[in-house]
Amino acid sequence: MDIFPALIGVLADPVLLGWVLLAAVVGMVVGAIPGLTASAAIAMLLPLTFYMEPLPALAFLYVIGKSGRYGGSIAAILFNTPGTAASAATQLDGYPLARQGKASKAMKVATISSVIGDFTGEILLIAGVAWIAAIALKLGPPELFAVYFAAFIVIGSVIGKSVTRGLASAALGILVAMIGLDPISSTERFTFGSFHLTNGIGLVPLMIGIFVLGEVFAQIEDRGRAPALMATDDPARNRLSWAEYRPCLPHVARSSLIGAFIGMLPGLGSAIAAFVAYGEGKRRARDPEAWGTGALEGVAAPEAANNAVSGPSMAPLLTLGIPGSTIGAILIGVFLIHGIQIGPTMFLTSRDLVYALFACGLIGIAIYGVIGYFGAAFVGRFITRVPTRVLYPVIFLTSFVAAYTSRGNLFDVYVMVAAGFAGWAMRKLDFNPAAFVISFVLAGGAEETFRQALLLSDNGLMIFVTRPVALVFLLIGLAALLVRVRSLRRQTRAAVMTP
Amino acid sequence: MTPGTSPTPRVVGVALILIGMGATLTSMGIALDPYGRWGARLFPLAGSVALILLGAAELRQAPGASAVERRHLPAIAALLVLSVGYVWAISAVGYLIATAVAAPAALWIFGVRRPLGLLTAAISCPVAYHVVFFELLGVFPPLGRYVDLLDVVGGV
Repeated sequence: MDIFPALIGVLADPVLLGWVLLAAVVGMVVGAIPGLTASAAIAMLLPLTFYMEPLPALAFLYVIGKSGRYGGSIAAILFNTPGTAASAATQLDGYPLARQGKASKAMKVATISSVIGDFTGEILLIAGVAWIAAIALKLGPPELFAVYFAAFIVIGSVIGKSVTRGLASAALGILVAMIGLDPISSTERFTFGSFHLTNGIGLVPLMIGIFVLGEVFAQIEDRGRAPALMATDDPARNRLSWAEYRPCLPHVARSSLIGAFIGMLPGLGSAIAAFVAYGEGKRRARDPEAWGTGALEGVAAPEAANNAVSGPSMAPLLTLGIPGSTIGAILIGVFLIHGIQIGPTMFLTSRDLVYALFACGLIGIAIYGVIGYFGAAFVGRFITRVPTRVLYPVIFLTSFVAAYTSRGNLFDVYVMVAAGFAGWAMRKLDFNPAAFVISFVLAGGAEETFRQALLLSDNGLMIFVTRPVALVFLLIGLAALLVRVRSLRRQTRAAVMTP
Repeated sequence: MTPGTSPTPRVVGVALILIGMGATLTSMGIALDPYGRWGARLFPLAGSVALILLGAAELRQAPGASAVERRHLPAIAALLVLSVGYVWAISAVGYLIATAVAAPAALWIFGVRRPLGLLTAAISCPVAYHVVFFELLGVFPPLGRYVDLLDVVGGV
């Protein structure tokens, strides 16, 4: 049990604990600001972590991701505006509770459920990740390429409103990743004679552009619109008793497992987990009619699920090098900058670091749980005092200096601006920025394994069909695509039939 | 929003096909490896062809109403111009002067009109970012090609 020495090590390091505490606060505040996501905060702060030791850098960003997911519930309950897409399901019952003067009670339920969900996900990750890594070590290039292929298809088709535009986002991400020198033959690709492009497109400026500057462009449309805060200062109505929370527990347990399972699948993420858990909770509820009108269980179920995603979404990243979420894609940048090779061999070469990171995650959950339980209302009040017309220009300026800092290169800042505008346009046109970025990250590994597989093969592409594991993953990808297309067709038909 | 009402499938479809065709032509220009194999060309070509096919699939969808609201486009365009101009200005006159101009301009685009606020931003933003990133973190600052305030103040 490597986790116990790791926990002791982290608890004995006050500086590291300080970073975890700071991350818990920063993530909660950023997640609670409508429009800003944990991904945006992590992308913006990523260049700062280049100057830190690997463990504090990773722990800082990892815990921001966790508390950012939770922070979204504060905005959903208090402002009727989900701070993150994942907390949109929380809004369905959280805001009606706030209108009844029970905002603090709703936030306490959200906090406890988030903490239980996050702990469940993290413990499942700790228990299962070494086992998955041991299996991953046995996979050869054909199997790994098939996993990449399935990831491209799932990421492109399952999330977002349009399958074609989601897949096109993934294809565009692959094409942008191809810019520069071919890593095997050093042949120039898509460089158009530009010296700057021979180095390829940097991950950090691309992410800052898509997630931070793109959000600033999007926020122009909401400028001047201040969130209205619901009152939270009625102590009699806001005391949460055990009798009130007990009916939530079965929903929290079920939703935590749903979130953990969805978290392991690349690209699906917290929003899908939260809505699946909400739907399943309502279906099994004793009083489904109360859901949507201010049921505490309707807050507990999606919050447990969206936070349970956090830990297991690291499993494909740490064992296969495949990010399960946008936060995972950003963390790849930190691992690479610090010279840590991700993938199954990581458990042989950097085992202590991995378990120390998990320990930081567990401590981060406890910290944001305590701060959230007693201070979520204060965070909500603080956010209403920060005017967005000042906040977003500051974020705008920070994104430029952060993009420059990553490599000390103004070309990267131009890349960031282009990515920012593209990110805004993608959101407006129902493309999928997350699929674009994750595919950008995956493309290099996918190409490498594809070409290695062809070198191993005597029958060309047939190697992917003759290896059973590879075939299964290829079929999983195709099946996910077919299921999604059928489901969208059904939705379209239902929309046409509805008068 | 259902797939049938996604914004402007025709425009998006044509754009994807054009990007895909351009990328396909460029991919075919990627040199073969010394053994005449397509190694370096395969993935770019696969991505390009996928774009063409997805563009064609997009064209087959029913046309929907445009969801892009035009009311905010001038502000979006202003922010884009400011973004490009800001990077160019950093390369021309250095980080401090460029940020002293860009900070109030960004606030103006977001609706801040108080002269004192704009002036405060023009002074405090360059100083704060310079201290945090170029002094505390030790990143080498981007120097201006024509003039740089750091030269004037003696490289503080």
